[in-house]
Amino acid sequence: MSLHRRVHGDGWLLELHLVARPASTITDALTGLVGRDELRRRISAQLGSTHRGGEGFAILCVDLDRFKAVNDTLGHPVGDALLKKVADRLVKAARQEDLVARLGGDEFAIVQVGTGQPEAAEALAARLVDLVGRTYVVDGHMLNVGASVGVAIGSANGRDADTLLKNADLALYRAKEDGRGMFRFFEPGMDAKMQARRSLEIDLRRALALKEFDLAYQPQVSADGGGVTGFEALLRWKHPERGMVSPVDFIPLAEEIGLIGPIGEWVLRTACAEAARWPDNITLAVNLSPVQFRGAKLVTIVTSALAHSGLPAGRLELEITEGALLDNTDAVLSVLNALRELGVSISMDDFGTGYSSLSYLQKFPFTKIKIDQSFVRQMEESADCSAIVRAVIALGRSLGMKTTAEGVETEGQRERIRAEGCTEIQGYLTGKPMCAADAATLVCNMAPEGLAR
Amino acid sequence: MIHRLVYYSRNRLTDGPLTAWIIKDILSASRANNARVGVTGALMFNAGCFAQVLEGPQQAVEETFERIQQDERHGDVSLLDFGPVGEPAFETWSMGYVGGSESGRTRFAGIAGESGFNPSNFTGDRLFETLHRLALEEEEAALAA
Repeated sequence: MSLHRRVHGDGWLLELHLVARPASTITDALTGLVGRDELRRRISAQLGSTHRGGEGFAILCVDLDRFKAVNDTLGHPVGDALLKKVADRLVKAARQEDLVARLGGDEFAIVQVGTGQPEAAEALAARLVDLVGRTYVVDGHMLNVGASVGVAIGSANGRDADTLLKNADLALYRAKEDGRGMFRFFEPGMDAKMQARRSLEIDLRRALALKEFDLAYQPQVSADGGGVTGFEALLRWKHPERGMVSPVDFIPLAEEIGLIGPIGEWVLRTACAEAARWPDNITLAVNLSPVQFRGAKLVTIVTSALAHSGLPAGRLELEITEGALLDNTDAVLSVLNALRELGVSISMDDFGTGYSSLSYLQKFPFTKIKIDQSFVRQMEESADCSAIVRAVIALGRSLGMKTTAEGVETEGQRERIRAEGCTEIQGYLTGKPMCAADAATLVCNMAPEGLAR
Repeated sequence: MIHRLVYYSRNRLTDGPLTAWIIKDILSASRANNARVGVTGALMFNAGCFAQVLEGPQQAVEETFERIQQDERHGDVSLLDFGPVGEPAFETWSMGYVGGSESGRTRFAGIAGESGFNPSNFTGDRLFETLHRLALEEEEAALAA
């Protein structure tokens, strides 16, 4: 906008000129880079030129790893100063004829033109990962962030700017998923995979809202007498079109998108309410995801689920996997100790897979170790598996922890496990997962004198 | 306040006649820049590594380091130390090159060993002290000559 003052006749005429600035000058105030609109215009122009027989080009989407931590711990002024330096490095890595844009936050994109593709894009992507990932010094702080890069080639990976940008973004997503600090090229399969994931995500959110989840209860029986000692609650999801969806397929996604919190809470409350109707000597085991230990809500939720259901804390067993103890071990241990103080038991699930670090068993007094079903199933054929099962049972005994063998399917397995001194058995042989009503009938018929209703 | 920054990096140069030229180029460029912005320091170089100490006003040191980070000849830069110091140790050196003189080279060879100087297990303090000692010895040698 400009204001012109002009002599007009015997007076002043003020003229207001509203001048639209050329798009190429619209820049991000912080970094001086162009924004998304100009990026899209440039891609479209490049597509036109490629179409007329010009050279190919590449779009590189760049996203910083761990940038949020810088903003959160050192404040926005330091974060902004860092973004300026990142922008400088991007410009330095690109050539004069390339276009560097800031798409917002810590997202950037580069249009690389006029060189043999995809080799040139690969060289630039590798250089960006290296250069942007080098240490920064900003306002007296040494900062380390990484860069993930997704690449799409024009016009092979898209015939319009939006498709190309979307595909570069999909490749970027893959780079992040594969562990960050690396680059990935777009591949046609990524789109289908992403769409499948998005659709599963939508369905999962709906399932939570519409209560499409259900719980099944699998009996745990005493190894010597065979009586039911408790049940493990198992999450089931029956989708109207997909049918039964395995937890293996949806739990990782729920963990990633933050739905595991509400789902886990629903499981805990529902299972506790159900178990409160069982006889006093029957326990309930509920699985916890490592993600549920983040944030400070777990102890509150468990306390509340127990209070609302009236289930005594001593009858609740929470099962965790080693994964829960991998990160922030001290914080997780303090949550576990708080849960123990409530009177809740804690079991180590799937033991024998993963790291099987004995130091975890020493760091926390688990009530029970659950031996992974993969060892139990093979113990008749494999001497190694048999040896592992025997060792875990002995370990549990010497540490004063109970042991449960999972996945017991044959009498032969049961015999061996009982002979080794395992305390409990869980598997198809002693009881498949069943609905809540059947579980209640089973324990109420078995021990009518224990009825607490 | 004077800040000191200590880093080392793997360089992407191979040993050869060209390397001498490139070192000369790096040194003259950094000396010109450093004199302008008030940064002093010392550089040590061999076939595998750069090690450098930069001293000066915080902003100038940060900008100089950023220029180094953007230089393709440096790869795998490890920042060992950065913070305020009481006084500069290389005040008279716009960028001392340790290892240029015969005595320096001998000294340097002692640190470098046969497999090449490996500062990756040096602390920032130790690298600084090494560079400082060598710089002073080179200065004395130059005066004596």
